[in-house]
Amino acid sequence: MADDDSRRPDPDTLLALAEKDRRGKLTVFLGAAPGVGKTYAMLSRAGRLKAEGVDVVVGLVETHGRGETAALLDGLEVLPRRQITHRGRGLEEFDLDGALARRPRIVLVDELAHSNPEGSRHPKRYQDIEELIAAGIDVWTALNIQHLESLADLVAQITGVTVRERVPDVVLKKADEILLVDLPPTELIERLKEGKVYLPDSASRAIDRFFRLGNLTALRELALRRTADRVDDQMVDYLKQHAIEGPWATGERLLVCVGPDDLSEKVVRVASRLASGLNAPWIVVSIERADREVGTTEHLHRIEALFRLAEQLGAETRRVVGNDFVEEILKLARREHATQIVIGARRDRGWRRFVSPSLPDALSRKAAGLGVYFVTPDRKERAPVPARLALPAIASFRQSALIAAAFVVATAAAGKLVYLFAELPNISLLFLLAVLGAAVLGGYASAFIAAFLSALAYNFLFIDPLHTFTITAPHEVFALIVFLSVAIIAGGFASRIKEQAEVARVRATALQSLYDFSRKLSTTGKADDANWVAVSHLQASLKRNIVLLLPEKNDLKVAAVWPPDTELDVTDFTAARWTCDKQEKAGFGTGTLPNSRFEFRPLMGPHGLVGVCGIQQGEERLDLNAERALSAILDQTAIALDRARLSEESVMQAAKLEGERYREALLSSISHDLRTPLATIMGAVTSLRQLGERMTAESRDDLLQSIEEEGSRMSRFVSNLLDMTRIESGTLKPKGDWVDVSDVVQSAVERARKYFPGKVIETGIAADLPLIEGDSVLLGQVLFNLLDNAVKYGGGEPVNVYARRDGQDVLISVTDLGRGIPPAEIDRVFEKFYRRGRPDGRAPGTGLGLSIARGFVEAMGGRIHAESPAVKKKGTRIVIRFPAGEKARTGKAT
Amino acid sequence: MTNERILVVDDEPQIQRFLKPALKAAGYDVVEAATGGEALKAVATAAPDLVILDLGLPDMDGKEVITSLRGWTQIPIIILSARERESEKIAALDLGADDYIEKPFGIGELTARIRNALRHRERAEAAPATLVTDGLVIDTVRRLVSRNGEAIRLTPKEYDLLTLLARHAGRVVTHKTLLTSVWGPAHGEDLHYLRVFIGQLRQKIEREPTRPAVVRTEPGVGYRLVVEGD
Repeated sequence: MADDDSRRPDPDTLLALAEKDRRGKLTVFLGAAPGVGKTYAMLSRAGRLKAEGVDVVVGLVETHGRGETAALLDGLEVLPRRQITHRGRGLEEFDLDGALARRPRIVLVDELAHSNPEGSRHPKRYQDIEELIAAGIDVWTALNIQHLESLADLVAQITGVTVRERVPDVVLKKADEILLVDLPPTELIERLKEGKVYLPDSASRAIDRFFRLGNLTALRELALRRTADRVDDQMVDYLKQHAIEGPWATGERLLVCVGPDDLSEKVVRVASRLASGLNAPWIVVSIERADREVGTTEHLHRIEALFRLAEQLGAETRRVVGNDFVEEILKLARREHATQIVIGARRDRGWRRFVSPSLPDALSRKAAGLGVYFVTPDRKERAPVPARLALPAIASFRQSALIAAAFVVATAAAGKLVYLFAELPNISLLFLLAVLGAAVLGGYASAFIAAFLSALAYNFLFIDPLHTFTITAPHEVFALIVFLSVAIIAGGFASRIKEQAEVARVRATALQSLYDFSRKLSTTGKADDANWVAVSHLQASLKRNIVLLLPEKNDLKVAAVWPPDTELDVTDFTAARWTCDKQEKAGFGTGTLPNSRFEFRPLMGPHGLVGVCGIQQGEERLDLNAERALSAILDQTAIALDRARLSEESVMQAAKLEGERYREALLSSISHDLRTPLATIMGAVTSLRQLGERMTAESRDDLLQSIEEEGSRMSRFVSNLLDMTRIESGTLKPKGDWVDVSDVVQSAVERARKYFPGKVIETGIAADLPLIEGDSVLLGQVLFNLLDNAVKYGGGEPVNVYARRDGQDVLISVTDLGRGIPPAEIDRVFEKFYRRGRPDGRAPGTGLGLSIARGFVEAMGGRIHAESPAVKKKGTRIVIRFPAGEKARTGKAT
Repeated sequence: MTNERILVVDDEPQIQRFLKPALKAAGYDVVEAATGGEALKAVATAAPDLVILDLGLPDMDGKEVITSLRGWTQIPIIILSARERESEKIAALDLGADDYIEKPFGIGELTARIRNALRHRERAEAAPATLVTDGLVIDTVRRLVSRNGEAIRLTPKEYDLLTLLARHAGRVVTHKTLLTSVWGPAHGEDLHYLRVFIGQLRQKIEREPTRPAVVRTEPGVGYRLVVEGD
C-alpha cells in the first residue's frame, strides 16, 4: 500500500501545473552578456510563428539601430509605446494597458531587468510581465545573467561592476521556458570590435572592464549553469508528475538565521546559492528577544529588507520570539525538519570573546545531527555597529555619568556627615546604595560609572591615608575589589529590572490601547460605526492620515477617512484597487505604484477580503510598536467588518422572510375573501338552475338577493385591493377640492344604514364645521370603511359618529361599543391584513379597511389614530383630524 | 318515507343561506349549526343522517369535530374545504370523514356526493357481494373480476386494491388508507408503490387505460372508484 501511495503523482505538483494552465506562459531568452543576440533570436522565432498564423505582437523591442535586427521587425505588429515625460525628458515606455487591451496570444517585451520610470504602475518591468501572464497572455522576454538577484555579489566580484537593475530569481524560476542564447566570448569580443554591439557611450570605461575574456567566460559559465539547473528542475518535475521513482528528493532543508547586522545579507545570498545547488527549500528566520524590544526601527527595517530579498530569492520567512536564541533555532529546525543551519559567524573582538560563547559556537555545540554552515564576513567589512547607531548611546552616556556623579557626591557628603557622629565600620555599604540608585535611575552605564566613582571616592575620603588614591593596608585593597564587583553585579541587576519594567510598561500601554479599541468595536453593530471607530483609532495611535475602503458590487468605495478632509488621487485609488484585487500590499513602500502617498493593506476576515486600509506614509516610517499596533488593529477591524457584514446579511434574510410571511398572509386572505362570496354565488346559481322549480318563490328570491349581495361584496373587496395598490404605488392623488365634512358624513352613514339594515348608527355633527381641503369621494370611502368595521366589531351595540371643530382641526370620530382592542395591538390595527378576532385568520373583514383609511387620510394631509377602550371600558374609537381650510367658513347651516 | 335529515355545519351565514333552500328543494330536511359545539349537540339531539362540515370553525378545529363524532357514530361526514388547505383535507379524510368537496362547488356535485354517502351507509348494512361499474363486474364472494363475461387475472395486491376501492365505491380513499391497508402500516408514505400498482390495475380493468373511467385520481388526495349513475 505504502508503495502505491508513493508512486501516485504528487498532488501539489499537479496543482501547480493546473494553475500554470490558466496563466500565460513566460519564455526567457537568457544570455551571458549584451550582444549575444537575444533580441535577434526572439524576433526571428516570432517571425516564424507569425508566418504560421500565430497572433504574436511586439510589445517593446530595442533594436539599437542594428540593421539585421530591425529587418526582422518587418511583418510583425508593433504596439505603440507610451509617451511620458519624466523630469523634463520625453521617454517612450512599454504600454502595459495597451498590451492588456490588445490581448495577443504572445507579446514580446525586451529587457526583463528594466526599471520603469517613476509614476508607472510598477517600478519594475518584470512586474508588468507578471501582470500580462496573470491575464493569460504569453510573454517572451530577454535577460542577461548578470541581472539575476542571487548572482549580484558574485558578478560584482568577478567583473568589478555592480549591477543595479536586478531581477528576483523566482521570476526566472517561474518561467515556463528558458532559451539560452549562447555565443563564445571570443566571437562576442569580435562583434564588439566590429561595432555590432550597442553600448551607451557614457558607460564605455566600465564596459571595457566588463568585456574582458575572463569576465565573459565566467558569465557564460554562470548562464550555462543556470540553464542546466533549470533543465534539471524540469526533469525532476517530469519525474514527479509521472510518478517515476528516482533520486530526485534530496530531502535537504535549510534554516537560515539572520539578524540586523550587515553580514546577514551575505548570509541570505550564500544560502540562496546553496539552496539552489542542493535543490532544497529554505527558510529564513529572525529571532526577537521576548523580554526586550528589538533594538531600533533601523534594525526592524533591515530585517524587513532582508526578508524581502529572501522572498525574492525564493525563501520562506519566519519571525520567532524567544529568550534563548540557540534553543529557538534548534526548536524551529526540528519542527521544520531542517537538515542544515546557515548562520553568519563573526569573530568577537576584545573581552567579549572570553565572557560568553558566540551564537555560532553555542549552536555548533548543541546542534546534534544537523549540519551547521558558517558564513564569514569579507575582510574589508567594517565593525558591526555603525556610527549612527552609537550616537544616541553617547548622548545618554553623558546623562548617565551626571546621574552617577550626583549620587556619588551625595553619598560621599552623607558619609562624611555620619563619620562626624559615629564610626561606621563599613562605610562602603553606603556607596553600594549610591550604585543601586544610579542603576535604577540611569541604567547600566550609570551603574558602572557610579561603581567606579564610588570606589575612587571611598578610597580618597575614607581609606588611610586619607585624601590620596594610594592604599597601604592590603585588606583594604581586597575590600575595594569586592565592593567593586558587588556594585557592578547589583547595578547590573537593578538596571535590568528597570529596563524590563519599561518594556512591560510599553507593552501594557499598547495592550490597553488595543483593548480599548476592541471594546469600542464590540459595541458597534453596524459596519459603518466600525469603520469610523477603526479609522479614528488608527489615526490617533499612528498620527497618520487613514482611509478605509470597502468593496461594493465590483467597485471599491471610500467608507471612512480620518481626518475627514483626506483625499485620494487617481494613483492612490489604483493602488487601493490593486490591493483589493490581488489581496496584497500596494502603494507607498511596496513594489506596486510606490509613488502613491498611501500604503494600502488588505483587511482579511475569516471569509476573505473585507476591505482595504490606506495609511499615509511620510518621511518617517512607522516604528516597531506602531507597526504592531497597526496590524493588530487591522485584524480586529477585519473581524468586526466581517461580523457587521454577516449581521447585515442576516437582517436582510429576516426581512425577506418577513416579506414571504406577508405574501402568504395576503394570499390566504385574498383566497378566503374571494372564495366565500364566490362559493355562495355558485351554490345559489346552481341551486336555482337545478332545483329552482321545486323551491318556493321566496326561497328563489332570497337566493337571487344573496347572489346580488355577494357580488357587491366581492366588488367591494376588489376595489379595496385596487385602492391599496394605488396607495402603495404612490399613484393616489386626492383632488384637493373644498369638502363639506357634514355632507360626506351624512351620505356615508346613509349608505351604511342601507348596507347593514337593523344596525343603529347615531350621528352628531356640529353646526359650525369649516370646510377642509381634500377629496370627498376618498373621505366617503374612509368613513364607510370605519363604519363597516364598527358594525362588524360593535357587537350589535349602537355606533356613534361625531364631527366637530377642535382648535384648528376638524375632528371626525367613529365609536363602537364592542370588545375593543388590546393595548398591545392598538398600533397594529392600521397594518395591512391585521384583523381582530380569530387566530385562524378568518375574520369577517378583509383586513384592509383600516389601512386603506389611513392611506387615504394621510394622502389628504390628515391624521388618524385609534383609542380603546372608548366608553366605559368598552369599544373602540377611531379619530380622524384634518386641518381646517384656510378660507374657513362655516358649513351650510342645518 | 320521511326525508333524510342533513346537518350543515358552517359559520358563514351566506353559505347556510343558499344551502338550506337548495337541500330542501332536493328533498332533504336541513338542520343548521354555526360552531363545532352546536354541531356535536345537534348530531346527538336531532339525529341527522349525514353531516356537511366546514373545516374552519370559530370555536374548534373541524378535525376535532370529526374525531369526537367518530368516537361514537359512523354517520357519513362530507367536508367542505378550500383548495389551499389540502393537508387539512387529507388529515380529515384519514380521521374518518367519508368525502370532501371543494369550495366553490355546484349544488349538483354536492347532492351527488350526499346520495353516494347515504347509499354507502345502506350498503354497509346490506354488504352487497357484487359491484358493476362501466361494464366491469367485481364479485367479492367468488373473488372474480370480469369484463363482458371475460375474467380478468389480477395479482393479489391488485385485487386487494380494487376491492378496497370498491368497498368505498363512489368515495375517495386516501393514499395513506390504501397503502396501510394493502401494504401494511409501515408503508404509509410509499406513494410510488401505489402509482405503480394503480397503473397496472388500470391496464387490466379500464377500457382505455390512458383515460381511466373506473379508478379516478383525486390529485394529491387519493383514488375514487366511480359508481354507475354519477
